Amino acid sequence: MKKYALFLGCTTPTQVIQYELSSRWVCRYFGIELIDLEDFACCGINQINLSLEAGLLLGAMNLAHAESKGLDILTLCAACTGALAETAERLKDQTIRDRVNKRMQTIGLEYAGKTRVKHISRVLYEDVGVERIKKGIKRDLSRLLVAPHYGCHYLKPASAFDGFEDPDNPKTLHELISATGACPVQYERIHLCCGGKSFPVSKEPAFNLVQKKLDNVWNKKIDCMVVQCQTCYLMYSDQQKAINEQFKKKYKIPVLLYPQLLGLALGGDPKNDLGLDLNAVSLDERLVKKGKKRKS
Amino acid sequence: MEEKNRTKGPIRASNLDGHFRSEVLRHEEASGLNACFSCGACTAGCPIAEIFPEYSPRKLAKMVKLGMKIDVLSSPYIWYCVTCHNCEQHCPQNVKFFKILNVLKNMAAEQGYVPTPWVKQTQQIMKTGLIFSVDEVLVKKRQSFSLPTLKSDGKKVKKLIQLAGLDKIKPKKKTE
Repeated sequence: MKKYALFLGCTTPTQVIQYELSSRWVCRYFGIELIDLEDFACCGINQINLSLEAGLLLGAMNLAHAESKGLDILTLCAACTGALAETAERLKDQTIRDRVNKRMQTIGLEYAGKTRVKHISRVLYEDVGVERIKKGIKRDLSRLLVAPHYGCHYLKPASAFDGFEDPDNPKTLHELISATGACPVQYERIHLCCGGKSFPVSKEPAFNLVQKKLDNVWNKKIDCMVVQCQTCYLMYSDQQKAINEQFKKKYKIPVLLYPQLLGLALGGDPKNDLGLDLNAVSLDERLVKKGKKRKS
Repeated sequence: MEEKNRTKGPIRASNLDGHFRSEVLRHEEASGLNACFSCGACTAGCPIAEIFPEYSPRKLAKMVKLGMKIDVLSSPYIWYCVTCHNCEQHCPQNVKFFKILNVLKNMAAEQGYVPTPWVKQTQQIMKTGLIFSVDEVLVKKRQSFSLPTLKSDGKKVKKLIQLAGLDKIKPKKKTE
């Protein structure tokens, strides 16, 4: 299997370590080697608000670090994925790359334009493949109804992802969920954004979006949501209590990061390998525990 | 008041800035603006415009073209964008409104119309390289799961931020 530089981003390793834990476990399971690079820093996605140039430079710095080790990047956060992939796309332009490289000389870096950026779900989908995932299933999750949430930056800007997904009709997360044996369920406004990127500035717009999404999932009596970005996770899971208070609701929707769901299916220890006990709303264990190993 | 938001009143030609459009277009990222024919597909697909009609990508593009500089740059709503990219995904003219909006936010920030949380975040990444601090509780928590130690060093980040002039951006004016 291919080696990748693991890009943790800011939020996963500090606020949602169960995502990091389960991702590392899943990658180890499939023999995907993850290399930790000390020099990685913020991807720059929020900095573009105040300075597009600063965002470009931060993205370029991270791409250059990976390139200097001859590695492509594996990301966990959807926003880091979008930001880094878009930066890589922009840096294909020789004029922009020359300008950026001139500025990066001061920190002793140069970027030639080789680094590719792939989200962990894309790596699992393309490098491992759903067929191989299916072969490793040890727990029966077939009772589990799952609401997939893709995360905007996993899909967009589409130009940065060389046609990997159709943002208007995405399918990879549905297929990855199906591969675990669980059942992905279609629900109203599946594409609605988690609002995480405006949350630091103003709670109101983000909470409005989160409430709509939770309502659509809750009304369909779906067992849990599966996300592939720690910011989406935080918005739907950790903010659920605040949403319930503000909107006078009683949502109790477990939210799992995809590698947690996959790890569960592959027989990982829910606590030590996947950090499921760290999730704000816990999954009804009856949906999983009664399961047994598949015969096939 | 000179800087009052005028979006609800009549537009006075004397309050318009005829250079605003070209100032915006000077930024390569905003080059799509001229292709916009105001169809509103961006606004129709925008989850924020749905909740806050005050935020409308279509309207903002039009306001830039008219030269309503202060109204655009002082608007608190430009900071509500959730960066979902729907506006550009659905544009029949392939206008990257998300990029135009970032140019507008950059210009607003230069003038001191900037939400404090973004400035604080910049200060944080200059220290740790991450938007969060790394305290002892976290270090121990990570150790208990045998996760590698996080290096928290913002030296290179700080240098790049200074080169981009981002360290000079401070909140001076209140967005209205």
